[in-house]
Amino acid sequence: MRLVIALSVAAALAVFLVYTAFAGNATPSLKPSQLAGHKGTLSVSGYVLGPVKGDPHAAGGLRFKLRDIDGPHKNVQVPVVFHGSEPDLFRAGRHVYVVGKYNGTTVAATSITTKCPSKYSPAKS
Amino acid sequence: MQDLGRAALVLAFGLVLYAAIGGGLGAYTRRRRLVDSARNAFFAAFASGLVAAIVLLNAFRTRDFSFSYVAEHSSKALPFPYLYTAFWGGQAGSLLLWFCVLTGLGSAAVALNRRLTTEVLPWTVPVLGGVAAFFALLLVFVASPFTTQVAPADGAGLNPSLQNPYMMIHPPLLYLGYVGLTIPFAFAAGALLSGRFDERWIVATRRWTILAWTALGIGILLGAKWAYEEVGWGGYYAWDPVENAALMPWLAATAFLHSVMVQEKKNMLRVWNATLVAGAFCLSIFGTFLTRSGLINSIHSFAQSPIGAWFLGFIALVAAFSTALIIWRLPQLRSRTKLESLASREAAFLYNNLLLVAFTLTVLWGVAFPLLSDAVRGEAVTVGPPYYNFFLKVFGLPLLLLMGIGPLVAWRRTSLRALGQTVLWPAVAAVATGAILIALGGGSSLAGLLTYTFSAFALAAIVVEFARGTRARKALGAPSWWNAFSGLVARNRRRYGGYVVHVAVVLLAIGIAGSSAYGATKIQHLRPGQTMHIRGYDLTYQGSVIRHRANHDELRARLAVKQDGKSLGTLLAGKNAYFAEDQRSNEVAIKTDWLRAQDLFVIGDEFKQDGSVYLKVLVKPLVDLIWIAGFVFLLGSLITLWPDAREQRRLATNADPGPVPATP
Repeated sequence: MRLVIALSVAAALAVFLVYTAFAGNATPSLKPSQLAGHKGTLSVSGYVLGPVKGDPHAAGGLRFKLRDIDGPHKNVQVPVVFHGSEPDLFRAGRHVYVVGKYNGTTVAATSITTKCPSKYSPAKS
Repeated sequence: MQDLGRAALVLAFGLVLYAAIGGGLGAYTRRRRLVDSARNAFFAAFASGLVAAIVLLNAFRTRDFSFSYVAEHSSKALPFPYLYTAFWGGQAGSLLLWFCVLTGLGSAAVALNRRLTTEVLPWTVPVLGGVAAFFALLLVFVASPFTTQVAPADGAGLNPSLQNPYMMIHPPLLYLGYVGLTIPFAFAAGALLSGRFDERWIVATRRWTILAWTALGIGILLGAKWAYEEVGWGGYYAWDPVENAALMPWLAATAFLHSVMVQEKKNMLRVWNATLVAGAFCLSIFGTFLTRSGLINSIHSFAQSPIGAWFLGFIALVAAFSTALIIWRLPQLRSRTKLESLASREAAFLYNNLLLVAFTLTVLWGVAFPLLSDAVRGEAVTVGPPYYNFFLKVFGLPLLLLMGIGPLVAWRRTSLRALGQTVLWPAVAAVATGAILIALGGGSSLAGLLTYTFSAFALAAIVVEFARGTRARKALGAPSWWNAFSGLVARNRRRYGGYVVHVAVVLLAIGIAGSSAYGATKIQHLRPGQTMHIRGYDLTYQGSVIRHRANHDELRARLAVKQDGKSLGTLLAGKNAYFAEDQRSNEVAIKTDWLRAQDLFVIGDEFKQDGSVYLKVLVKPLVDLIWIAGFVFLLGSLITLWPDAREQRRLATNADPGPVPATP
């Protein structure tokens, strides 16, 4: 009986390890300062730098830059071009993570996820 | 008032600390008065927590922005019901809600089971007290809802996404689920500490486990419904870490609710059950750690703070405590009963458990993968929906099939011939369904086809079970078929309530498969007067409209909708712009075709200055079965939860405790 359980668990583990190793849709999750040396599909989390230009439904797409949210490499910026549905909370100054393809200079994003502001700031008078 | 709130929390902290330490000492030394006073202290902590909660609610009611928490999560223009739901809109309020539910639910469980588990209870109270002390500690020293400031003119308001009726009930239900899993954990730990391993701790906590499991399940579904209607991306579950954080303990609790039947019936799987209970509880805490630590990217946006480290420490403590307890009691926990056959009811439960636990671990692996890969390779790697969808099929489809086979096999052993006879009609139903679907063109998705075929098998098996039982009761002299049926369910509430829950799971599977495998999506730019077409629907854009509300403006695209040439009326899809929060929110339009359980889902994606609009339109076949499944799930759970006087009497008469193993 124990053998059956052990084999079943081992089989399940093997399946998902193999999947994540070879077939899985695993995506590197990086900061803008970590992009050097990477290409292809990845996700980048960062701070949106203005100005935000363009139209996400037009050929030129929505254009902005990302930098690290914190840490010593806030000066590193990466341009992003996005096509698709712009999230409601997206704007300059927000923390976002984008998923897309990086060609060594620009991230061609297919999705943007915006984090809501979580810190209180006094209401404007 | 802040002082009263702070004092109530400090008092509550002292009381639960006493319940943990004093109660533990009392249970160890068997000093009755100390045990009783610890229990009463735990009850009093609930009252003290309530006082703190009332102080905070009153601050929201009076819009007292000198409470930093009130100023951060409400505003003068926030409408009435959301003024109170803002209570759990942030971290400190969530923790206070958690504390109140924990002490309230724990007090009820202790009070209602004081006669059933007289030896276990003295050890249960200190465990409950220890867990509550952790939350009280956070409320007093780390994240107090009673910090003060000079009151600003207005508050920051509540996140617009949370200003939704589903958000009034989704978070409390999840908390009820998370916190509810503390009850079986505390009773299991109490049983292990006291050396009482008989079925009474299970019976004492079964309903509490089902209550927590039901609350968590409904909470997850309401969250899905909220995401579907409010977030406006056209889906209902994104495999986000925070969503998975609720799913994992629910899966573990589902496994426990099945395997516990094997322990009750055959006195097997005692180590496994203790492990599952501890695992489910740890996973419920792990969810909070995930959301608060900020270590993993999530679409959810909870306030991130160092509180995550506290939760990590607490999980480590609970995991070490549970592991040590189980190892300590391993010799007594080992079952003397062996599995007689791999074709038996208990074996079916075991397979069900292996699949559920494997799926839970797979989800856990996916959630933790960025952390693990970062630690091992120095680079965080995330796994997306394809990973989870793959394993949902790998483990979910066999589970669906097993849900049909399990109820049909007998305890101890079943011959292949008997099994063949019992599964005959369900198998015929499954094959017929598959053939019809292929003929109708449903073979385009293998996963969808298998889901429908296995669902037909499981549904037919449930019908066979109900029919067989009703026929037997009619033959035994029930005056009518209805009496036979209702008597069958009333006398076996757990079994037949469970089957109703299985129906809900089948509906859920059909809804998920239909909406994801057979749906359609189209994005189109429309000027006033232009029409777009999708799956027999025609949507004509008639222009945009603006409405002014108390705390927001509404911008909507007005759409005349036809289906197969027949008018379905007008839909309004667009966005709200909230003033105080300075945020926008998507407000989708949904037209439900109840006959097909299908939705036409319209998103006003982008409004241009020239009056044109980008519309995103989805057709979601069978998606409404997911929400119907929620009602069926609730019905099945209520049938199972309904008190059974006969069982209580049986337990009362069998309550001979026997000798207690020595406590070292």
